[in-house]
Amino acid sequence: MSVNDGKKLLHVESIDVSYGKLKVIFDVSLYIDDGEVVVLVGRNGAGKTTLFRTIAGFLKIRKGAIRYREEEINPYKAFEVAQKGIRYIHQDKHVFSTLSVSENLELAGHAIGNKDFGPVFEYFPKIETLLDRRAGNLSGGERQMLLIAMALLGKPDLILMDEPTEGLAPHIITDLATSFKKISKTTTLFIIEQNLPLTAQIADRVYCMREGGIVAEIESKDEIKKMSFEKYL
Amino acid sequence: MWKKTLDRLGPLLVVLLVTVLRYLFPNKISFFTEIAIYTIYVMGNNILYGYLGLVSFGQPFYLGIGGYATALFLAYVGHNPLVALLLGIGSGLVFGIVLGPSFIRLKSSYFALINAALCAIGVFIFERLLIDITRGNDGLWFRSNMSKLPLLDVRLPQSFFLFVVIVLFLVLMIYRHLDRSTLGTMFRGLQSNEEKLKFIGYDTFKIKWVGFTIASCFSTFAGSLYAINFGFVNPSLGENSRAVEVIVATLLGGSGTVYGPFFGAFAFLGIKDIVSRWITRWELVVGILTILVLFRFSKGIWGTIQQYLLGIQKRVSGSNDIRSPKGSRSAGAGS
Repeated sequence: MSVNDGKKLLHVESIDVSYGKLKVIFDVSLYIDDGEVVVLVGRNGAGKTTLFRTIAGFLKIRKGAIRYREEEINPYKAFEVAQKGIRYIHQDKHVFSTLSVSENLELAGHAIGNKDFGPVFEYFPKIETLLDRRAGNLSGGERQMLLIAMALLGKPDLILMDEPTEGLAPHIITDLATSFKKISKTTTLFIIEQNLPLTAQIADRVYCMREGGIVAEIESKDEIKKMSFEKYL
Repeated sequence: MWKKTLDRLGPLLVVLLVTVLRYLFPNKISFFTEIAIYTIYVMGNNILYGYLGLVSFGQPFYLGIGGYATALFLAYVGHNPLVALLLGIGSGLVFGIVLGPSFIRLKSSYFALINAALCAIGVFIFERLLIDITRGNDGLWFRSNMSKLPLLDVRLPQSFFLFVVIVLFLVLMIYRHLDRSTLGTMFRGLQSNEEKLKFIGYDTFKIKWVGFTIASCFSTFAGSLYAINFGFVNPSLGENSRAVEVIVATLLGGSGTVYGPFFGAFAFLGIKDIVSRWITRWELVVGILTILVLFRFSKGIWGTIQQYLLGIQKRVSGSNDIRSPKGSRSAGAGS
């Protein structure tokens, strides 16, 4: 596996992460370039979500470093990492369920001083029709759209999405795949995904994770299209 | 439509209702004065419980702090009740800023208990430690030291009622603005999903701290008003045996709402007033009602009224859409 040493958007360097004494991430290194769609695949329990939570600032590393635009971000707290321009969309699709859709957007916009929702409505026009609805009443697909819309406010450089299509109907997954393509023109995406055909469709590069370590990096478009990463799962 | 109208006119309607009732029941002026003050007290607890999701068994401590800040000023330093009230609010600000960072780090149950412990310490301080200046259980009397205000003599019950009603109106306006502001949305967002709030870039510690401090200010302000109303204070104002009362009032009215504290204060004090005429243990009825509210009307009085009005609106418009008017929220939420 090659870890490019050039100027990267995100550079994870040989990190170990533990829950108490239990080590769950072992010497993981990876990088994300500007404008890429990178997908992280792996079985349940491989450590994918732990890796994302670590990048997002919720877990601390035992060794190594995480650099974002050359700056070491591992000492930062989660909210400071978000303020740096990294947004994390958790897999549980939890929005602020007791608030309206517009209040959800307002909160996300206020955090980065951007109240112009127009650009995100271009990606998800449906959200604009749901502004007065209580977020807890949205369907799974609508919630996912809202979460991505909230993450997109303020044009972040990098969005980490943890299994964005989990539990969604096939036609919604198709719509989201189209949205990912559009979003990736302006924002770098790092996605955990179990849906292999979707991964083959959207990924520029694929990292495969198993038992807390990166076991493969697939860069070839042909290999990705052929879903050759499946053998590492 | 009705919701927007209620939202705009709410503070005025509340104040009008209290005033009309006061004139309908002229011998109940102290009762209606207490409702206005207790509403402000419940508002403080509502910020903690209804907006931030924190249960505190120590709110009487802050009530006592406000009461004593006002009483000590009027007994020993000055005569102006407005300055004394500002001192009361200031004491809440100081205690909120000083205690907040250590208290809000605690998990919800520990937060509740540390406030209860603080309450016990507070009573000891008021009753024993500072007995030379607080006069312990005998209480500190200062009514004769108070000067009258330019337009109102707050030493007189009728004038003080008017003063409190004006204060309630202003406080409700501020509270409504807070509820509608981004800070209010942050508070509710924090209760809904604290981790998510961090994901999108908020320092939730600071949000809780601000909320805790605002809640303290409301409680100490209510304590100051109590002190001026009675013209004296004693340690019973801050007793932690009364800590549950404000939580019950918050639940009864509808937590996380602007007008819930008024309905909660009205219902709680009303039940107490009526039932205590017949039963010594009036708490029994309040207890039964609380259980009923928790199991059957979790949105409280104001939340249930809102739900009822929304149902009527839906029937009138014939709409099955689950959309709700702007600002309407879940359990116990909404203006």
